[in-house]
Amino acid sequence: MTTNTYSVLNRRVHNVDGHAKVTGRATYTFDVKLPGMLYGKILRSPHPHARIISIDTTEALKLPGVRAVVTGKDTLGVKQGIWRRYPELCDEQILTIEKVRYIGEPVAAVAAVTEEIAEAALDLIDVRYEVLPFVDDPMEAIKKDAPIIHEGVERNVNVTRHIEWGDVEEAFEEADYVREDWFKLGGQAHMCMETRAAVASYTPDKKLTVYTSTQSPYYHQALLAGVLGLRESDIRVIAHYVGGGFGGKFELDAAQFCASVLSMKLSKPVKIVFTREEDFIATKRRTPMFYYVRTGVKKDGTFCAREARVFTNGGAYTGMGATALYLTGFFHSFPYKWKAYRYDGYRVYTNSLPSSSMRGFGAPQAMFCSEQQIDWIAADLGLDVIDIRRKNAHTAGYEVPGQATIGSCGLGQCLDKIEEWIKAKGPLPKNRAIGISAAGFMTGGIFNWFDSPYSFSSAVVTINVDGVVELHVGAQDIGQGSNTTLAMICAEALGVKLENIKVHSGDTDHCPADLGAWGSRQTLMAGNAVKMAAEDAKKQLLEFANAKFGYNIIYDLDIKNDWVHNVARPERGMHYVDLVKEALRGKDGQRIIGRGHYTPHRKGMISPAYSYMVQAVEAQIDAETGKLSIKSCTTAHDCGQPINTLGLIGQLEGAASMAVGYGCLENMPVEDGKVMNPNLVDYKIIRAPDMPECEIIEIDTFEPEGPYGAKEAGEGLTNPTAAALGNAIFHATGLQMKQAPIMPEMIVNAYREKKKGGGAP
Amino acid sequence: MEKQLLRFYVNEHEYELFINPKTLLVEALRDHLGFTGTKRGCDTASCGVCTVMVNGMAVKGCTVLAVQVGGMHITTVEGLERDGKLDPVQTAFLDEGAYQCGFCTSGMIMSARAFLNETPAPKDTMEIRRGIEGNLCRCTGYNSIVRAIDAVAKGKYREGA
Amino acid sequence: MIHDFTYLRPGKVKEALAMLAQHRDGAKIICGGQSLLIIMRQGLVVTEFLVDIKGLDELNFITYDPRAGLKIGATTTHRTIEKSPLIKEKYPVLAAMEEKLASIQVRNWGTIGGNLAHADAAGDPAPVLIALNASVTIASSAGVRSVPLEEFYPGLFETVLAPDEMVTEVLVPPPSARTAAAYQKFNLLESDQGIVAVAVSLSVGDGGVCKDARIVLGNAAPVPIRAKKTERLLIESAPNEEIFAKAGETAAEEADPVADIHASEDYRRHLIAVLTGRLTKEAWEQACQA
Repeated sequence: MTTNTYSVLNRRVHNVDGHAKVTGRATYTFDVKLPGMLYGKILRSPHPHARIISIDTTEALKLPGVRAVVTGKDTLGVKQGIWRRYPELCDEQILTIEKVRYIGEPVAAVAAVTEEIAEAALDLIDVRYEVLPFVDDPMEAIKKDAPIIHEGVERNVNVTRHIEWGDVEEAFEEADYVREDWFKLGGQAHMCMETRAAVASYTPDKKLTVYTSTQSPYYHQALLAGVLGLRESDIRVIAHYVGGGFGGKFELDAAQFCASVLSMKLSKPVKIVFTREEDFIATKRRTPMFYYVRTGVKKDGTFCAREARVFTNGGAYTGMGATALYLTGFFHSFPYKWKAYRYDGYRVYTNSLPSSSMRGFGAPQAMFCSEQQIDWIAADLGLDVIDIRRKNAHTAGYEVPGQATIGSCGLGQCLDKIEEWIKAKGPLPKNRAIGISAAGFMTGGIFNWFDSPYSFSSAVVTINVDGVVELHVGAQDIGQGSNTTLAMICAEALGVKLENIKVHSGDTDHCPADLGAWGSRQTLMAGNAVKMAAEDAKKQLLEFANAKFGYNIIYDLDIKNDWVHNVARPERGMHYVDLVKEALRGKDGQRIIGRGHYTPHRKGMISPAYSYMVQAVEAQIDAETGKLSIKSCTTAHDCGQPINTLGLIGQLEGAASMAVGYGCLENMPVEDGKVMNPNLVDYKIIRAPDMPECEIIEIDTFEPEGPYGAKEAGEGLTNPTAAALGNAIFHATGLQMKQAPIMPEMIVNAYREKKKGGGAP
Repeated sequence: MEKQLLRFYVNEHEYELFINPKTLLVEALRDHLGFTGTKRGCDTASCGVCTVMVNGMAVKGCTVLAVQVGGMHITTVEGLERDGKLDPVQTAFLDEGAYQCGFCTSGMIMSARAFLNETPAPKDTMEIRRGIEGNLCRCTGYNSIVRAIDAVAKGKYREGA
Repeated sequence: MIHDFTYLRPGKVKEALAMLAQHRDGAKIICGGQSLLIIMRQGLVVTEFLVDIKGLDELNFITYDPRAGLKIGATTTHRTIEKSPLIKEKYPVLAAMEEKLASIQVRNWGTIGGNLAHADAAGDPAPVLIALNASVTIASSAGVRSVPLEEFYPGLFETVLAPDEMVTEVLVPPPSARTAAAYQKFNLLESDQGIVAVAVSLSVGDGGVCKDARIVLGNAAPVPIRAKKTERLLIESAPNEEIFAKAGETAAEEADPVADIHASEDYRRHLIAVLTGRLTKEAWEQACQA
């Protein structure tokens, strides 16, 4: 590891909001209480597919304490969606008017003086449904005679995506060995510790304030404006502390919408907090997929051709599902050089809860198929699992044809480090093995499907007379530590100590627009904006310093650790705060303000930069019961320049816990459109005694696109784990597991199949 | 339904409430007394974000009737700091970055504190892990939390250490 | 939402029994509430009167007598049982079971009496206590009776308690010579309820033959059941690998498990076979050394 030449970056610091969080002072939307506040509850469809004939709210309105009941007919009926650039993908009326398309879909909402009364009122709303035939399996929904879920969408296929380069058929001809496999990937619930929540307060001056648990205050400001008929700037979205997002909280949800509609009717604040059950059944989950993969290689392991066809279970509405469809196909080629590649993805509507985005965004599913198949191919050909990957690995500067140019790439080093680590482990006992998976992930997306006119990220740096820096960003801290990471970048760029930085975020009235915390974008995009703003401010400050010191023009001035100095003679200088005072006086009492922004231009189809990793999971299998015990999880990781050291470790371990869940715990069966385990007893989230120790081996690279060479860390790390676990099972037992999550009963059944001589299940 | 008088101690101060007996301890603390540090996250006593101490024992405030703690001493996360000075567990959490979104943190810290009070010298980290088994965290993967508790157990935050 | 109720807090067992006698079906008992409050919140239990016996210290005890055996009062918490040096010494399988029950928070407030009265088929204590040949003392204002725990559950979530009765204590006979007990539940996460569970108690007799066997299957039927065929297989035998395996197969046949999202019926039977085979072997080896 090279020595750290930075003053602030890559050090262990307390998060800037740590104090509030460890003392119970942090107030989440869950805690917000406003004067005169009412409580809202949502009535939900019990049917997976039905026409709404009538809704009679008279009895509910009579219940003492009930102040309002609204249905879709009380709204503008706007079909909204987050892919604003493509109106046909904006298909969701949150309080649906004509039809319900999934169990749990909102049909009415109540505001009352207590939560209990609001809930009691739900039972008094009389909804008449005409039950329609439903379909909850995408492979059934694409059949000719399947019920149509959205009028005009043939075969329920609402999005298709195609990625291709090279001549796939020719490349398959050249291959010495071809293998094809089918996989089934499950969904997953975000299971944020704070459920969906909103407090909406509309006032007679036609302004709306919404406190909400969100990954993007700006998105919600814009989306609410669209569905409520208000001006964007008349809506204020506040999110000071957010109890987790993981990809589930940047689309408009029923808590925000219904609370707003009720509040607008009453001009009173209305609070809606989802119960844990509602959070499970009526929010958008990770996209379940059916994958077909055909791969052709040379007998020395050189990759020739890959063809993949994917059907995703889209659920009732699109949400971010179109992006998941694309990214799964794109990352299915990662992180290798393919002579020829073809991907066809089909997103299929079904009568179940909508599938959208969740940390990893289609890549964990893609890796589960690709990385396992590679190990099986290696086994079929007698090749080493590291060598086969090394042979085909991405390298810096590689062009994914028509898609992306790879900037920095530490994949080769990651493979070397993991190879070393595995060798050092030595032989393992029976039924225990190490499985590996490589992966690469985007650092922020380049496509503006939200159709925002604003820069993707912006930042404003304002310096007060005491040297304290007010840093205004639109980037949202949802626990990943962006407030701290951005404060560190600001401090480093300006040359001041971290404690000088005061971060303002989570309030659209006071912060610039930013697309928000998703797609691993904030460190790179908001980080670049912050760096630019801080450097702008520093430049302005140094103009005063130059004037003051009057050094020969050849000498440079800089600021480091609060010390403004001559770079050649650092002992000569002045304290940063003294300079600030002079600058303020020099500007007629005006503070120095630096501005920065970032929007990717001409960075390919996907992302300006890619993180890379190779993960090794060591697992023990109980051959009789099928139970898995994960002993350790070691990752060689290239995220460019690490910024927030503790944040990075936290992201790696947190991602691993979520990805282990996807690999072998978080089964989410949906039967006849019904989520069968919408509670924390039956939906299994990993707990402390079951969590393996995680080791990180950081690989040194520098990414020119990122601030100080930084890339993402935290989403990419969900990609490899399920695949590595599958590979561990393969090497320990010979079983090829083609379904995620891998449950013990599946392993027992796979053993039985194997015994019967059936080979791979 | 007759309301019940509840007299109890929260963070060493005595409080008196006149409440519907079905009021949960977490509701009494959050809604009646304004101690919003303690959270709620589920309906099945599974997640642990509502953990407080009752007479030193970690319990889930969402699954205890408030009227059952008459005369008892409740400690919430707000009660750990003393005149602005943080409890060693809180400082350890800061040092190890043992939190991210923070929603589980209050309950997690209370479980950690109760565990260390009972087991000041855990024999290994697995014992620590079992000590926080009742608390879910979706962000950290627990390992940083275990490191924080371990640091306190090993005396890193002892006065004069 | 919890429905309103009238709250009653008896100061003594006698008072509690009088309240039950007066209100009968109109009253429900709460102790720790770790199971009850959850179902009350779901609206599954609605009661006019709630009799709170959590504060009945009279029933908070663990005593042991070499002739009478172990007595645990109904309001004793799981945590107290878990940490009791007496129980760790004399009935280590009980302490081990408690250590893996739910979470520390639940064990700090929940009680053994409440757990047994809740009659959850997947509950941990009942199979272990039945393997130990436990009985419960049931009191009403009319008197006291004793019921072997294996006869306490007529059906799923049902007990033999009449509306005016409550459990006051659990009795476990003194440990027999050359006897060992073991308990294992199968789950994905350490302290989850078992997808299935098995509790075994084996005694070694003269000539290295199995003198007594009690095998209890948990969450393998609507109530904990004794695998009596499996027991008969072991008794009078000199158990070996083959017999332990056969015990597993037999227990699997005796089970009557449900299929749910966690496991199919077939997999539950499979797990019972594996667990029973393993535990009978473990208990036998321990008993031989005792």
